[in-house]
Amino acid sequence: MTTTTAPEIKIFDYDTYAEGDPTTFGLPLEQYRHLRDEEPCYLQEFDDPMLIDRAWVVSRNEDIWEVDRNTELYAADRGYVNIWQVVPIDPKNGGMPAMLTTDGERHRAQRQVLAKGFTPGFVRKLEGKFRQYAKDVVDDALEKGTFNFVHTIAHNMPMEALGDVLGVPQEDRAKFFGWVDKFAAPFDTRITASFDEVMEAIGNLMVYSEELAELKRANPADDVMSRLVASGEGGDPLMSPEEIMGNVALLASGAAESTRTAMSHGMHELMRNPEAMAWVRERKDNIPNTLIQEMVRIASPFTHLVRTATRDHELHGKQVKEGDIVAMLFAAGNFDERAFDRPEVFQPDRIENPHVSFGRGPHKCLGQHVASLEMKILFEELFQRTSSIEPAGPISYVRDAYSRGVYELPVTITPA
Amino acid sequence: MKITVDTNLCEVHGDCVVVAPDFFDIGEDDEVVQVLDAEPGEEHRATVVQAAKMCPVAAIRIEG
Repeated sequence: MTTTTAPEIKIFDYDTYAEGDPTTFGLPLEQYRHLRDEEPCYLQEFDDPMLIDRAWVVSRNEDIWEVDRNTELYAADRGYVNIWQVVPIDPKNGGMPAMLTTDGERHRAQRQVLAKGFTPGFVRKLEGKFRQYAKDVVDDALEKGTFNFVHTIAHNMPMEALGDVLGVPQEDRAKFFGWVDKFAAPFDTRITASFDEVMEAIGNLMVYSEELAELKRANPADDVMSRLVASGEGGDPLMSPEEIMGNVALLASGAAESTRTAMSHGMHELMRNPEAMAWVRERKDNIPNTLIQEMVRIASPFTHLVRTATRDHELHGKQVKEGDIVAMLFAAGNFDERAFDRPEVFQPDRIENPHVSFGRGPHKCLGQHVASLEMKILFEELFQRTSSIEPAGPISYVRDAYSRGVYELPVTITPA
Repeated sequence: MKITVDTNLCEVHGDCVVVAPDFFDIGEDDEVVQVLDAEPGEEHRATVVQAAKMCPVAAIRIEG
């Protein structure tokens, strides 16, 4: 008789990700598999004043789709965004309201104001600017030869793109990017020395968003900040001052770190898979979206988000009560063999890819088309102007159980 | 096969435009998605069904 030992479940421990195995995308894939197969609605309890008390964790791809789409049963507007106790966009816990913490008509109203600045058609207009950023980034990288991919390649482009989309003036970008960097990894002391620094950065960003709002009211432009401060047909502002602050914080925290993370994990996989690397190189003049989406899948830049149950119900045999928190473990759902062919294999030409990294419901990532375009252009530029990209040292990860950042990815590139 | 979009639900996420650009588009001034060809040939069923499935707010219906 054989017995299998269940792995110890540490899916929300910082060190699980900080010390992740680079051959399994840095993710605890065995723990995820155990949850999907044996405990598809798993009760996680926390004992940390910085974190929530408990959450039901759903890990199957199909269940995450359901929770994300069924906003009537799983609400986003009853407090909490992830497992953190305090999030700047959680109005139930001292934060400002934003799309991600609003449901129903008010959500729809905010989303419609902003969504037009993020449609595939609108985003295509940014391509020229993005190409120039990509050129500058690759110029710098070629000059260095050997460098940390995360800083030299993956950092700058998402930041500038955020600046462009939001409409941050050039002279303000350095300080703006500084704040955004601080709250990307609030619990990794190599990046942010203390949580006070995080709160200070968020405070600064909120104050600045009011300044920027004033600027755009006086001088509207074709950017998202101008949409945020615009008035509706009746002359009333479309959004309250609190919603403007909340949504700026939401966009900033959603935009930069996640794209950097996806590019970095993606680059790491290409270096581990010579066939995939060659496949991309052959397509360097028009990189297929399948590659980008596969990078986004295996990166799972945010491991999870949470919702609140709006009534008692049963889920996989567990009694979920009204008010209970339900966590969607995206990173586990992205490796579910019920939904993917050989999920543990990085496949740049994967067609069927129902990944949940962007979410799948009404709160789906607003910046998904911007991020995908940034990644496509940056990898095109990088592959066109190099003949080889090789590892120059081991990958290491940010110490965080929510944001799956890469801390260091040393690479050496050779000019074409 | 007929495509209909519930314009009360559409929030211009744009997922359908990525999956099926020959059948859906969102122009600069559009409040909701535009259906470019509401009655596509049977050979396009897989693409159109996929677009409907990807819609985050389930606004797209395929009839017939």
